[in-house]
Amino acid sequence: MFGDVMAGVPHNRQRSLVRATMRRHGKEHRLVVHRASREARGSGRTVPAGRTAPAGRTGRPWPLLATAVALPLALAAGCSSASPPGPVNAAAAAARGGGFPLTPGPGPQTLSETGSTLLYPLFRTWATAYHGQHSQVTIPTGATGSGKGIAGAVAGTVDIGASDAYLSSGTLVQNPRLLNIPLAVSAQQVYYNLPSLSPGTHLRLDPQVLSEMYQGQITRWNAPAIASLNPRVNLPGTRVVPLHRSDSSGDTFLFTSYLSAQDAAWSNAFGYGTVVNWPGIAGHPGLGRMGNPGMVAGCHQQVGCVAYVGLSYAQQARGLGEAQLQNRAGTYQLPSNASIPAAMQPFVSSTPPNETISMIDGPAAQGYPIVNYEYAVVSTRQPTAAKARDLRAFLHWVITAGQSSQYLDDFGSGPLPPSIPGFQPLPPSVAALSDAQIAEIK
Amino acid sequence: MATVTTMPKAPAPASAPARLRTLLIVLVTGCLAWGVVAGWTVSQHASAADDVVGTSEPLSLDAQQLYRSLSDADITATTAFLSGVQERLAMRQRYTADISGAAADLAALKAAESRAQAGRLSAIAAGLPVYTDYVARAVTWNAAGYQSPGASFMQNASVEMHLVLLPAARSIYAQESAQLRASSAEATGLPWIVVALVLALIIGYGLLRTQRWVSLRTHRVVNYGLLGATVVLLVGVIWLVAAFAVARGDLSKGVNHGSAPAETLAQADIAAAQARGDEVLNLISRSGDTSFEQDFAKVRAQLGPGHGTLLSTAAASSSGEPGARWVAAAGRDARTWYGVNQHLYSLDLAANYAKETQLVVQSAPGSSAPEFSSLERDLGRAITADQVVFSSAASAGRDAFGGLEAGIIVVALLMAAGCAWGLSRRLAEYR
Repeated sequence: MFGDVMAGVPHNRQRSLVRATMRRHGKEHRLVVHRASREARGSGRTVPAGRTAPAGRTGRPWPLLATAVALPLALAAGCSSASPPGPVNAAAAAARGGGFPLTPGPGPQTLSETGSTLLYPLFRTWATAYHGQHSQVTIPTGATGSGKGIAGAVAGTVDIGASDAYLSSGTLVQNPRLLNIPLAVSAQQVYYNLPSLSPGTHLRLDPQVLSEMYQGQITRWNAPAIASLNPRVNLPGTRVVPLHRSDSSGDTFLFTSYLSAQDAAWSNAFGYGTVVNWPGIAGHPGLGRMGNPGMVAGCHQQVGCVAYVGLSYAQQARGLGEAQLQNRAGTYQLPSNASIPAAMQPFVSSTPPNETISMIDGPAAQGYPIVNYEYAVVSTRQPTAAKARDLRAFLHWVITAGQSSQYLDDFGSGPLPPSIPGFQPLPPSVAALSDAQIAEIK
Repeated sequence: MATVTTMPKAPAPASAPARLRTLLIVLVTGCLAWGVVAGWTVSQHASAADDVVGTSEPLSLDAQQLYRSLSDADITATTAFLSGVQERLAMRQRYTADISGAAADLAALKAAESRAQAGRLSAIAAGLPVYTDYVARAVTWNAAGYQSPGASFMQNASVEMHLVLLPAARSIYAQESAQLRASSAEATGLPWIVVALVLALIIGYGLLRTQRWVSLRTHRVVNYGLLGATVVLLVGVIWLVAAFAVARGDLSKGVNHGSAPAETLAQADIAAAQARGDEVLNLISRSGDTSFEQDFAKVRAQLGPGHGTLLSTAAASSSGEPGARWVAAAGRDARTWYGVNQHLYSLDLAANYAKETQLVVQSAPGSSAPEFSSLERDLGRAITADQVVFSSAASAGRDAFGGLEAGIIVVALLMAAGCAWGLSRRLAEYR
């Protein structure tokens, strides 16, 4: 194994060297007490084919995140003060995080955001709430697709590029000042439009079947490959219409990563990326759709469609069928407030300081296979100190107060019903890494 | 008498013994001073030549090897990750050899660590385990069947390599080759040898004028002490000039036909490795970023062959030397490699990752990997050939200074003794 080359280096030395590098990158940070392990994992939503998913959502896996992150920071700041403790100091402590002010300056400020259509509804909700608390800060948002979010951050035309995909190593090497900072956890759902199926049916699909559908090799919904996964479902002979994103999209990156991870044929022929050379489907030109809204609307209009859509469009997708996806352990999962954190769990402690990690198709037996961090792509070098301060304050608010259920489960169309998963909060240790990255914005 | 009283310029006519005493002191002091200046000059040049052969050149080589090992480790690890299981064993061994090589080069550079390099060496020392840790995690996840997390760790490894390790290694190499150029310039520089020769001329003139004055004054045709000092001075000067001319010729040949083309080729090697690294990075990152294509065009313009490019400059410098044929071969390899590369980025823009992967990773002829390997191999051979030319010429140049420093000291002492003996005998006649 390649790791053998480290065999000669004592473990503690390796760790100290890693710490040294982290310090070099300015990423030394306080570890936040991880309380997640004892929080409710909730029940998984593993649903047998043909049955309705059980209603009722579980509690938040990390409900005390804001406190867990803010408290040690506040305590640390309070302890460093020479003044006696008291209300004034408590306020001062709350106003300082990892060495930076946690409130915006008094002057008017505009922090522009564009990018991921998946994150857009939540980001807009955060922006409105933050403006309500700090009226001097205005945050115009835009749903333009992750590719444009990243491109805007690279070009410096927006302050925050929102992306479902982490920055590619190529982009990072070309733009070493960019950070990708996780703000929340999301998932990709796969919808289909088969009105003849009874309501509440959740077809089982696996990466091979999806891959063949997107390659035009499975052309009918009653094809044996689909039928064998769903023996109790009376599948129609409707023609399969696989929709994909026409814009450069993090959703495409996540979905094709899932296909590539389990289907060698897909991986070899098409691979993964924010843009993919989609195979042509005979008789169906123009299968590309703009943004998640375009995918949902397209699927509503097209009987027989199959479409991958970010979890924030579940309300708009009502009426469409939602597929259970096969994970690596071989179980079929719907995205839920239990299956998404479960999928993320094996990756929490492995998340590196730059927070670039794919959690697609991980090892959790009860995990939903397509989960991801939603990233804010931000430059470490801001044009003015005031903008840097206000950006830090806003992003810190997002990963602390912004993790509350009032935002993650309620982003524009009213509170989500328990059966529909919202965005998931960042685990505390990941939030601490995000905070360390936020502190680098200067 | 009045015609020679200008020698020791006294404000008023002095007696003969007084003049003899003054002459004795001036000549003995002059001889010893010349010995100090000439000896110091020789020691400076010998030590600079020593430094070139024994320190600067090996360190420059280590720095170049360090860059090469790191870059090759990154390319090998990423390529192994992207290619099938079949190729993994050989690639794993190569990766391990690269990392071990990098660690050895790093140790050699650290042993001779200068303050200017300390920060960069520490950056590599700290970054290397971070890099290998990312690669190990990528391999572990991938081996367990989780390609997507594996790929993200491999990306992190590449980022660490391209943003931390390679820039530091590039700076270390630049610093070491600047040091090599400085040492070579010092070893072949002229100023102090000119001072030593001018001083020898003045002393020689003084000896001749003194002998003439003494012979007129004492009616003795020959003063053996002064004559001996003059002859010894002549021998010393001839030795000094001959040794310096030989050393300078050899060192200049070593620099102009050895280290200079080797340095140009090393720059070419680094540029090529960077372009190849970008190909692989672009493939694993799926960035769709056109800036890599632009970077490649820049590297191509820099690398050549073509007027003013690195390969053509190196070819001109090593003309007639054994390395010339490898430089020519490298030029042909580069053209073939460019031919493959120009398809890569168009495939990337069309998101045709499958074809792009084949072209970047496969070892079949016509793919980028074997063409780049040929270029790298021929560049390596050319660099080795140039380094052999440099080492033998520079060693010969250094050896030319052998024994000269001690010889100059002996010469100076003999001259002083000759002057003292010759003049003190005349002085004794006045007592």
